[in-house]
Amino acid sequence: MSENNEKKVHGIVAEYTSVDSLLNACRRVRDAGYKKTDAFAPFAVHGIEKALGIKPTVLPWIVFGCGAVGAIVGLTMQIWMNSIDYPYIISGKPMISLPAFIPVAYELTILFAAFGAFFGMWALNGLPRFSNPIFTDPRFDRVTDDRFFLYIDAKDEQFDEAGVRQLFGDTGTEYIQTVVDDDSSSKVPKGFFIAWAAVIGLSVIPVLVVLKMRLTKSSLPRFHVFFDMDFSPAKDAQQTTTLFADGRAMRPDVAGTVARGDMLIDMDYMTGIDMEALTQVDARRAERLVRSFADPSPQQEGEQPPVADTEETSAPAEKTAEETGVQEEATGETESAAPAAAPSVMDTTPWLTQNPLPLNKQLLERGQTYFGIYCSVCHGLNGGGNGLVNRRAQKILATNWIPPSKLNQPTLAQDVYPDGKLFNTISNGIRKMPGYAAQITTRDRWAIVAYVRALQQSQNASINEVPAAEREAILKQQAEVKKQLEEQAAAEAAQANAEPGDN
Amino acid sequence: MSLAIPNGLDNTVERPGERAPLVLGETDYHEITETVCQVAERKPSTSWVIGFLVSFALLQWLGICILYLIYTGVGVWGNRSPIFWGWPIVNFVFWVGIGHAGTLISAILFLFRQEWRTSINRAAEAMTIFAVACAGTFPGIHVGRAWLAFWLAPYPSLNLWMWPQFRSPLLWDVFAVSTYGTVSLLFWYMGMVPDLATFRDRSKNKWRRMAYGILSLGWSGSSRHWMRYEKAYALLAALAAPLVLSVNTIVSFDFAVSQVPGWHTTIFPPYFVAGAIFSGFAMVLTLMIPSRKMLGLEKLITIRHLDNMCKIILATGSMVGLAYGTEFFIAWYGQVQEEKFAFINRAFGPYWWAYWTMVTCNVISPQLFWVKKFRTTPWIIFIITIFVNIGMWFERFVIVVTSLSRDYVPSAWAYFSPTWVDWSMLIGSFGLFMTLFLLFCRLMPVINMAETKSTLAKQIHLEEHGYGNH
Ligand code: HEC
Repeated sequence: MSENNEKKVHGIVAEYTSVDSLLNACRRVRDAGYKKTDAFAPFAVHGIEKALGIKPTVLPWIVFGCGAVGAIVGLTMQIWMNSIDYPYIISGKPMISLPAFIPVAYELTILFAAFGAFFGMWALNGLPRFSNPIFTDPRFDRVTDDRFFLYIDAKDEQFDEAGVRQLFGDTGTEYIQTVVDDDSSSKVPKGFFIAWAAVIGLSVIPVLVVLKMRLTKSSLPRFHVFFDMDFSPAKDAQQTTTLFADGRAMRPDVAGTVARGDMLIDMDYMTGIDMEALTQVDARRAERLVRSFADPSPQQEGEQPPVADTEETSAPAEKTAEETGVQEEATGETESAAPAAAPSVMDTTPWLTQNPLPLNKQLLERGQTYFGIYCSVCHGLNGGGNGLVNRRAQKILATNWIPPSKLNQPTLAQDVYPDGKLFNTISNGIRKMPGYAAQITTRDRWAIVAYVRALQQSQNASINEVPAAEREAILKQQAEVKKQLEEQAAAEAAQANAEPGDN
Repeated sequence: MSLAIPNGLDNTVERPGERAPLVLGETDYHEITETVCQVAERKPSTSWVIGFLVSFALLQWLGICILYLIYTGVGVWGNRSPIFWGWPIVNFVFWVGIGHAGTLISAILFLFRQEWRTSINRAAEAMTIFAVACAGTFPGIHVGRAWLAFWLAPYPSLNLWMWPQFRSPLLWDVFAVSTYGTVSLLFWYMGMVPDLATFRDRSKNKWRRMAYGILSLGWSGSSRHWMRYEKAYALLAALAAPLVLSVNTIVSFDFAVSQVPGWHTTIFPPYFVAGAIFSGFAMVLTLMIPSRKMLGLEKLITIRHLDNMCKIILATGSMVGLAYGTEFFIAWYGQVQEEKFAFINRAFGPYWWAYWTMVTCNVISPQLFWVKKFRTTPWIIFIITIFVNIGMWFERFVIVVTSLSRDYVPSAWAYFSPTWVDWSMLIGSFGLFMTLFLLFCRLMPVINMAETKSTLAKQIHLEEHGYGNH
């Protein structure tokens, strides 16, 4: 080995063929006091740390630290992105909905910790390190196959070539070699650099092209790599298609479709006004009314028609609200301010005097149902004006509450308040009362009219109007109810007398 | 250093007081090196070349189909309202499941000190990574505008000015699967570095030596390096173990967090994890049985290894069967009408054939592994595992399609029929998987030599110093 003397000596290595001989040698070397030693093996030899005196690694702490950073990054990232920078609520969860953020935070914890373990291990091992003097000996190639090597570094305080060789010789090794500097060229082959430069260069080109396109202005049409939804494949009128059996891109109307304005309209039925008579007194208003039903396009009134609820009437009926309701309100005010003014349109309008629907039990029952649904909350089930809304309102804003009218009052009787007018009141509302055209179909509104008439009659009737057969039963029931009411009143009075002390 | 084999060639017999050898007939470390390296060093066999050409052709076909899909739109699939998650998601869940065995073998069996894993873990890990690559393909192209799939990443966008929606299980899935893919890759690569160094040191050709030299990062086998390496390996195993369990849990959240009857069940996470391990082991065996023969690795991948894996298949297969039963029980016990309907419809509705295929393949066929003869006869194992693979694909099909095909409004109900693109992509994904696997067999160490050698060292130690001293 003397020819190697001029080269720098890194240390001495000895070869072993079994785990046991390696471990024995390690112990000998350790006991001889060498510190800068290392063993090389094709697999992790258990017990070698002790035999060589290797200290445990700090790697677990690095991994722990990385994992903790991963957890914090995961949580803060999600909270910041979904709750602070771009806050939005999903399925009613709170802004910082931790349970939903756990999976991603968990994954990132593991990911960061794994990076810590992987890169931390290589860094602690000082790898990658492609040039290592120990590789200069071809025999060392067998360290990754079936041989074990023990190495003592020349930097060790006790190092002295002859002594080390002596020591190794005693451990039963067959091969001892001095590790010297690698004298092979340290130059990386040129092809390597060329390939590297080519890869970098080629991968930069697309980035530069994209950057140029994004950052500069151009008068040319946009360049579409992907069309996304920039060009609609929708068909034009009269074009053909293969999608439908008849080959027509324009689809015919669904059976039963009625175009807007195409519906046959019975104006009297829809408005509750005798249109023929109206045309005679106020042709312009009649015409406006008809137009509003026939062509419900909004520009006429400069206002959107409210959402319609039933196919046949709602939109047009809403228009009537504009027509009559607006005027009525104005007149109402004038009336109270200046009683001497001209009579209101409500009085001059030639209302239908008769319900256009044939009166029968079915109609009345329908009316009863709808009165119960829509009117009774304010006007009460018996039309007496004391529905739930009224009672509640009396309690909380008694001073400025306008109570719903008693429907059985004389001013609303059929002879002074024609059916058509009542229909109009329901449809378009009056003063404080809202209109119901949008909720109740025309037919049902007429049914309510019929039922209100029945209610009025029932409230103002005398016993003589009841069929003779029923009279007795009614009288009996009346007496019973009266008695009950009296008892109740007496009980309440007694309670009231007993209580004052408490107040 | 000759090594007697206590139980003859049959290492599946348990003898009290002795450990069955995990390496058969090997006399020394060098022979392990030779056995493993010859796989990559000798000339490729005809079967390898044919297999590679077929797989590569299928891979090209997959690529063409993906281009066609991107160019035309997702309408080329059979996905139709209301079944918007058709085969792409079925395939995704199928492949993710397959990707579970590798890391499970490497990490969980490592933590449980199951040393028999050493000769199968490398190939199983490789399979994991290739399966995750197949799995990742499908949601990537399923997003519709595949060129915008990067919107899934939380990057500060100057166009959108907003962030992904982190309360969605679909995004959890992105993180879970990509973390799993990354960690599995690190784990696999790290485990391979010492063996790549063996390849480096055996290379005669300068370029080959340089390539393996770079890949092995200058590994010298220093015991200090080995110590940190082992620590890192154990830590990665400890990290990967909960990760394996979390991935299919989160994949199951894609279903379970929704309100769809048949999906909205708490049993999904454990059921998916069991199913994943089940399918993963089945796939490992399906690949391992022919390749151990073709690559001449019968002495390292022994019958005992196959036997052990069959036992895991039997256990997880029974768990999956139990889960199927539990689902039905809960559907009845919960008394939710939609839920009951969903399950009755699964078993007896228009997809009854898929459901019963699944039950036959997944519940009944693995029960054959109670018989030792079946567990130790490679060709029988091979056939049964093929059945399991089929059954597990059908399981995902049943879950995805039967629930979606019955929307809440009967007028929206539909019957799923796949298109040729669906078929091509399923088969093409096997092309991708097999291409990667066959390349791996030729270019990388298919068996963890270092670990196998340390197993052998222990075996030698036991031989020389007797049993029971430890
Ligand atoms: C939201 C409570 C409320 C509902 C519901 C309601 N009304 Fe009225 N109604 C009133 C109020 C309040 C008045 C008195 C308005 C005023 O004097 O300003 C009134 C007045 C009336 C009048 C008298 C109109 C007049 O010219 O004096 C009639 C008739 C009437 N309502 C019928 C009905 C019918 C029929 C229904 C069911 C479709 C109904 N109301 C539903 C609150 C209501």
